[in-house]
Amino acid sequence: MALRAACAAVCRRWRQELGNLSVNGSKSSTAQTGGLLLTSVRWAPLSRLHIDVPKDLTKPTITTSDEPDTLYKRLSILVKAHDKAVLDSYEYFAVLAAKELGISINVHEPPRKIERFTLLKSVHIFKKHRVQYEMRTLYRCFELKHLTGCTANVYLEYIQRNLPEGVAMEVTKTQIQQLPEHIKKPMWEALTEEKEESKS
Amino acid sequence: MAVAALQLRLILCPGSRGLRSFASAARPAASRGGPRSASRSERPLRRKALPPRTEKMDVDQDWPSVYPVAAPFKPSAVPLPIRMGYPVKKGVPMAKEGNLELLKIPNFLHLTPVAIKRHCEALKDFCTEWPAALDTDEKCEEHFPIEVDTADYVSSGPSVRNPKARVVTLRVKLSSLNLDNHAKKKLIKLVGDRYCKTTDVLTITTDRCPLKRQNYDYALYLLTVLYHESWKTEEWEKNKTEEDMEEYVWENSSSEKNVLQTLLQMRASDGSSVAPSREELLGTKEVEDYQKCVVQLKNEGENEENLSQYKESVKRLLNLA
Repeated sequence: MALRAACAAVCRRWRQELGNLSVNGSKSSTAQTGGLLLTSVRWAPLSRLHIDVPKDLTKPTITTSDEPDTLYKRLSILVKAHDKAVLDSYEYFAVLAAKELGISINVHEPPRKIERFTLLKSVHIFKKHRVQYEMRTLYRCFELKHLTGCTANVYLEYIQRNLPEGVAMEVTKTQIQQLPEHIKKPMWEALTEEKEESKS
Repeated sequence: MAVAALQLRLILCPGSRGLRSFASAARPAASRGGPRSASRSERPLRRKALPPRTEKMDVDQDWPSVYPVAAPFKPSAVPLPIRMGYPVKKGVPMAKEGNLELLKIPNFLHLTPVAIKRHCEALKDFCTEWPAALDTDEKCEEHFPIEVDTADYVSSGPSVRNPKARVVTLRVKLSSLNLDNHAKKKLIKLVGDRYCKTTDVLTITTDRCPLKRQNYDYALYLLTVLYHESWKTEEWEKNKTEEDMEEYVWENSSSEKNVLQTLLQMRASDGSSVAPSREELLGTKEVEDYQKCVVQLKNEGENEENLSQYKESVKRLLNLA
């Protein structure tokens, strides 16, 4: 035990000296540590042992295409969970993300639903003794207005990748479109013209 | 760290350089038989428990690099004095070390406001702007009359699929389609329940195909077919009777016949020699007024205004006013 305590004490002091080493970068303290071969070894400061993600990763490239972007008049996201605190945190995250990306968002809370059922407590007989279970589903609804297809895909992917465990989501998209070409005029006039042309 | 421990022992006992001798020096008395008597190099070296990382964290450190992705709660990496759990009597909730409650609940430590802002900065390049000309709903309606509703579902379970995801609903206002009077009435008759009279919206919901894009194509196909068929006039449409009419039409109605009959009788009883023709009678102002009132009553229903107008027109027609 005494040996262990002594080891711990030396460890701590040694680590502090290592910290000094990295800051100073000098070789003068090698003498204090009793001739250890420290000069050849670079010790990273222990508080920053976590290696950061290298910053020279190639960013995903942005591709643009000529086809017109789809337009969404409304995006309704309904999130269901068993825990109100998780929904509150998720709401804060979704609202902040929408504000940062410049999307107008409204949040409301539909009333919760509780499903209850009663079962017999015992395997055999004892009808008078039952046990009751319930499943609580809490809801949160985010309404987004006026999104383009690209923005909607980006936002939805970001939201869905960070969906916590035990939370489900339903997304309802309302897309607006122009009238297709074949509905602009009835085709019977064109057909009769073609028939006349083919006859003549 | 194993190298560090080894070198530490070399400091403490500089004379004994060999591992074996150190082992014997450290544990001379404790002789354990069986598998424990294997030498120290074959047993894994036991690490000492280090102080938690939280003691070395600065106040202004970069938190998103501690929790870059969703990770379980690590009490040694989160420098907050969190307590969670139901306390015993005269006690406090349990501390964070070894607390299962903190592990069970999903944590948002990787989604701090700083992290969210950083993510959004990177994501902004992939977003496009909404066209500024379409700021109100009416303008959207005017330029983009068709609305398509689709649904997506995300949940955890044994299957990723959700059968409700293939439903597609197409909504369009009939006023934005190029239809004449006959075509509009025929379309409404063809479509039945799917048309709402108050909002003038036709709703087509498709579910019969297994894929969402197939359902969308089918919905557009239905709209095209309805549009073109409603412009056609079939032969059996000439047999349309009064019961089939959507709104009351004055021409060739019993009300018209009654009025004509009454007026002819009145003129005959007055003793005028010339019997006025049908067109003359119909052209008079009182008869037109009466026609308007009757049509209004039948189409819009009975209310105070309509009934009083009808009363006035009847009085004028029969020369009672």
